[in-house]
Amino acid sequence: MARWSAAGVALVAVLLVTLLATREPAATQVASSALAGHAAPEIAGRELSGATLRLSSLRGRFVLVNFFATWCTPCQREHPELVKFTQRHLAADDVRVLAVIFDDDAANVRRFFAAEGGDWPVVADPRGKVALEYGVRGPPESFLVDPDGFVLTRIVGEVDADGLDRLLAQAGAARS
Amino acid sequence: MTSRLAWVALALVLLVALFVGARGDGSPPTDAERSARIARSVRCPTCRGLSAGESDAKAAVAVRDEIRRRVARGQSDDAIRAYLVSRYGDDILLAPPSSGVGLAVWALPAVAFVLGALGLAAAFVRWRRLTAVRPTSEDRALVAEARAP
Repeated sequence: MARWSAAGVALVAVLLVTLLATREPAATQVASSALAGHAAPEIAGRELSGATLRLSSLRGRFVLVNFFATWCTPCQREHPELVKFTQRHLAADDVRVLAVIFDDDAANVRRFFAAEGGDWPVVADPRGKVALEYGVRGPPESFLVDPDGFVLTRIVGEVDADGLDRLLAQAGAARS
Repeated sequence: MTSRLAWVALALVLLVALFVGARGDGSPPTDAERSARIARSVRCPTCRGLSAGESDAKAAVAVRDEIRRRVARGQSDDAIRAYLVSRYGDDILLAPPSSGVGLAVWALPAVAFVLGALGLAAAFVRWRRLTAVRPTSEDRALVAEARAP
């Protein structure tokens, strides 16, 4: 009897390890969101350059709305992936990244971008209103918005360029 | 009879106290009181175990600001909570919703209480019957025989 129990536990452990080992990378792990399928809340904020940017002004292409902070380690890890992702799509201009600062100082963010690269628009959210509109619980959190301005998916945790491309391909296929 | 009257009096006092307590002072809450009450009923989005009314986290402050804005606009408590649920999902509410699956969370303790009370009442009645058993003449004879020198 004890032998059979041990075999059962071992089988469950093997199945668990297999499941975890064959999971998709982080960027494809979309989380449920009450906003999915709804119009993306407008983001109208001041960029680090001082100019005002509206999310609606980016219609006609996909937009990855990325909530981040420089103090957040997964945000630091995903940054080079976002740089890679934006560079891949620079010529086609089919997707833009729009970053929203989550509970951080603009000065820190300026220094971070100067050191790590990345030239996508970064919008301040000093009162946390944009994060509330998107129901963000903590950085990094990203939302893929389609060219018509509807939220497709919410990604909780860090993203990677390949995973984002897979999501984009799925979204493009669903639209055609 | 006296004991029954005492129980009735106790029940009456309890009912009156509940009625007075539930009514409060009768004046409608101010906007600030309403905002604070709603904030206490929702979770702080970025922290564990604290309501938006208690936390100083930036996200909690944003939730409080939004609640205040909506209260000032004249929205009902339910409408404000529904807005927050539309952003964060059901689990932003500290108390589960009183419909759907959430109803079970409210109903189960009440059902358990009623079942427990019924069980206790049944047990009391049974014990009372047991203590009400009188010795028969045969029992008395047996005892007398045993006590005889």
